[in-house]
Amino acid sequence: MIDYKKFTLENGLRVLVHEDKSTPLVAMNILYDVGSRDEDPGMTGLAHLFEHLMFGGSLNIPDYDTPLQLVGGENNAFTNNDITNYYLTIPSANIETGFWLESDRMLELDFSQKNLDTQRNVVIEEFNQRYLNQPYGDVILKMRPLAYKVHPYRWPAIGMDMAHIKNVNIDQVKDFFFSHYAPNNAIMSLTGNIGYDLAYKLSEKWFGPIANRQVKLRNLPSEPEQKEERIITVERDVPSTALYKVWHIGSRTSNDFYTLDLITDILAGGESGRLQTKLVRGKKLFSEINAYLTADIDPGLIIVQGKLMKGVSIQQAEDSVNDVILDLHKENEIGEEMEKVKNKFESSTVFSNTSILNKAANLAFFELLGNPELINNEVEKYGNVSLGMVKEALDKYFIPHNCSTINYISTRKEK
Amino acid sequence: MNSLQRMQPPVFPIEKVTIQEAKSFRLNNGIPVYLIEAGTEEIMRLEFVFRAGQVKEHLPLLASTCNLMLSEGSQNYSSEELNRLLDFYGIFFNQSAEKDSAGIVLFFLNKHIEKVLELSREILFRPVFPQPELNSLMKKRLRWYMVNREKVQNLAMDQFFESVFGKSHPYGYQICEQDFENMTSAILSDFHTKYYIPENMTIIISGKLHVKTPELLNSYIGNFGSNKNNTEAPVYPIKGEKSKKIHISKPGAVQNAVRIGSATINKRHSDYPGLKILDSILGGYFGSRLMKNIREEKGFTYGISSTISSLDLSGYKIISTEVGQNNSQRAIDEIYKEINLLQNVRVKNDEMAVVRNYMSGEMLRMFDGPFALAESFKSAWEFGLDNSYYYRLAEKIKTIEPDEIIELARTYYNIEDLYEITVGAE
Repeated sequence: MIDYKKFTLENGLRVLVHEDKSTPLVAMNILYDVGSRDEDPGMTGLAHLFEHLMFGGSLNIPDYDTPLQLVGGENNAFTNNDITNYYLTIPSANIETGFWLESDRMLELDFSQKNLDTQRNVVIEEFNQRYLNQPYGDVILKMRPLAYKVHPYRWPAIGMDMAHIKNVNIDQVKDFFFSHYAPNNAIMSLTGNIGYDLAYKLSEKWFGPIANRQVKLRNLPSEPEQKEERIITVERDVPSTALYKVWHIGSRTSNDFYTLDLITDILAGGESGRLQTKLVRGKKLFSEINAYLTADIDPGLIIVQGKLMKGVSIQQAEDSVNDVILDLHKENEIGEEMEKVKNKFESSTVFSNTSILNKAANLAFFELLGNPELINNEVEKYGNVSLGMVKEALDKYFIPHNCSTINYISTRKEK
Repeated sequence: MNSLQRMQPPVFPIEKVTIQEAKSFRLNNGIPVYLIEAGTEEIMRLEFVFRAGQVKEHLPLLASTCNLMLSEGSQNYSSEELNRLLDFYGIFFNQSAEKDSAGIVLFFLNKHIEKVLELSREILFRPVFPQPELNSLMKKRLRWYMVNREKVQNLAMDQFFESVFGKSHPYGYQICEQDFENMTSAILSDFHTKYYIPENMTIIISGKLHVKTPELLNSYIGNFGSNKNNTEAPVYPIKGEKSKKIHISKPGAVQNAVRIGSATINKRHSDYPGLKILDSILGGYFGSRLMKNIREEKGFTYGISSTISSLDLSGYKIISTEVGQNNSQRAIDEIYKEINLLQNVRVKNDEMAVVRNYMSGEMLRMFDGPFALAESFKSAWEFGLDNSYYYRLAEKIKTIEPDEIIELARTYYNIEDLYEITVGAE
C-alpha cells in the first residue's frame, strides 16, 4: 500500500508526495504531457530532441548536470509516444537543489544554437546506434506506418526521418517549449525521504511563481478501424528470419487493457508461457518469441515477435502462432494459467514499488491517466479478469483483418 | 510577478554512508549464509553463489551451459514443471555464469519461501541434464550467438577480452560455432559434481527476512554433503596478445565500436579506490571528461564511458563507445588526449568537488534498499573484503588530492599498454 498526498498549485502544476523514511534519498519525477504524438508530421522526433535540449542550460543556470552532481544527485529522462519524463535522485539534505534546477528549466530554457547543433548530432548517433546498427533494429520503423495510417503513432518517438532532426531550427524549438512545457501541462511526484510539508513549501517557493501557459490543444486524428489484413515482406542480411505480428487494441484506460495484458502473459509471460512452451521448447520452431502490449495511452497494439529456427518456413511459423492463439480460444481449462499470471502481476507490482524512482514514475503516470490510486489497485483489476472477459477480448481483437504482419526474411545462405 | 531570486540553494554535505552489516552463520553442512535485514515490504532476495564460473571450465561454454541447464529438469520435476512452478508463485528467477562465479538469484514474496527453497534445492542439487533439453538449448543458443555477433559492440567486447587476457585463458577466449556442438549431458554432470557443491558455495539473503529463514534453509539445504574429490580447476596462464591495435571489419556497419583498455589491478589492491575516482573523472559519469568532450561538446556519439572491473585473477579498465565512422579516429585521438591531460595537469578544485560529491551520492545509492545492499555486499565479499573496503573508498573520495590523481594516471594509464579495438565497416 503506497500512501501519497496530492496538491495542485495555482498555476496548475499537480504534485504527488509519498514519504518513505527508509531511504536517505529523494526521487523527483517530472512528467510533461507531451510526446511524439503531439508532433507535426513534417517535424517528427522533436519531442525527443527537446528532451536532450533540456540538459543544455536554462534561464538562470548555464549547465543542468554539474550543480546536480555537486550535491550528489543523478538524473535521466525518456521520451515516448505519449510523454516526456525527467527524473532524479538526490540525498535528502540537498533536495532543494532539485527544485531549483527543475523549476528553472520549466521557467525557460537557454535555447542556445550551439546546444541545438550538438544535440541533433547526438540524436542522429542515437538513431544510428539503436535502429540502424542493430540486426532487426529497423523493424519498428516499418511496423508503425504499417499499423497506423492516420494517428501519429505511425512514427516512432525518435522520429520518422532524421532529415526532420537535421532541419529543425531554434525558433521551432522555442515554439515547441512554450506550447508544451508549462506547469499546467506537468505532473511532479516526490518520493522517499521527504515529508509533505517540506514538499509543499518548496513546490510553492520554486514552481509557484511560474505563470501558467497556453498549452497547444491536443486534437489527434483517431485511427480508423482496420478493415483488411496487412502483410509486408522485407529482406535483410540477418542470421535468422523473424516474424512480427500486431493487432490494434483500445486505449490504456479502456476496460480491456488488463484482460489483454493478461492474455499476452498467458502467451509469453516467462519461460512457462504458451508460445515459449509450445513453439520454442515443444515444436522448436522459434529460437525466441515474445508477446506484449505497447501500453500507449491512445489505442495501442498487441505485439507478437519471434525469431525462427534454421529451416523453418515463415508460413509454418505464422500458422503455429495462429494455432496457439486459436487453442487459447477453444479451451475452457485455463484457470491455473490465469491464477499464475495474476500471481505474477501481484509479485511484480510489489517489487516495482520497492524503488523510490519506480514509485515516483508510477504515481506521475497514473495521475496523468486520471487515477493515481491505480498504484494501489491495478493488481485488483488484473484479479477481476474472468474467463469470459478473456474469450471476449480474443474474439474482439485477435482477428485477421485487425492484424498487420511483417515477414522479416533472412537472405543469408547458411552452410 | 516573479520576485523570487533564483539563486542556487546552499550545498549541504552529503551524509556519510552507513552500511547495514550482514549477519552470518553456517548451515549444518557448513555452507556460509549472510543475512541482510532491510526494506519495508514482505519480500526477499535469495542468492546462491558458486565458484563455478568460466575460469573453472575446460571447454568453452561449459560453465554457462551447466548453469542454464540447472532448471531444465531435476530428479522430481521436468523443465516444464519447474518453469511453471517458478512462474506460478510469482518468483523472479535469474541464472548467471560469469568469469569467476556462477549461480542463481530468486526474488519472491516472503509467503512463498518454502516453495522457493524446495525448487532451489531441485535446481541446484538435483539437476539431471536431460540430453533432449540440452540439444534444444544449444541450438537456441547458437541462434542467439549468431544474432549477437551481428552487433559491433559484441564483436569489439569479445575481441577486447581475447586481446587483454589471451586466446588460451577462459577470461579471454572467444566462442565459435563449433563450441555449441561439444556439450554432452555427461560433461555437464561432471562439472556439476565438481563445482556445485556445499564446499564451493555461499548464500546471500536480503530483504524483510522471514522469521524462520535460518531453520528453513537448514531443513532444505543444510543436509547436502558432497564427495569432494579435491579436483582443482585447470590453471591457464593469463597472457595478453601481442598486437595492441586490432580492427575487425563489419561490412555495412554505420557506426564503429571502439574499445580501449587493458588489464589492471583489482579491488584487493590498495590503489583501487583511487583508481575508481580517476576512472570516474575520465568517463565514469555524465559529467566526466569523455562525455563532456566527445558527446556534449562534439556530438560524435550517443554515449561514451570508462569503467574498471575486478576479476579474481586480474582486473581490467575499458573505455567504450559507438561512434559515426567519419568521426571514429577523431574520437580515439580525443580519448588519448584526455588520458594525457590527466597524467600531466592537476584536476582543478571545482571539478574535484563535483566528482567527490557525485561519488558520495553514488555511495548512498549503492546501499539504498535490500537489493542494492546485497549486490554491494557480494561484490566486496567475492574478493575476501568486507564493508571496510567501502569505508576506505568513501574516505578516499573525500581526501584524494590532485597530485595523487596524476600519479595514478601515470601508473595505470600508460598509453603504450592500452589495447585499441575497433569494429566497423571498412
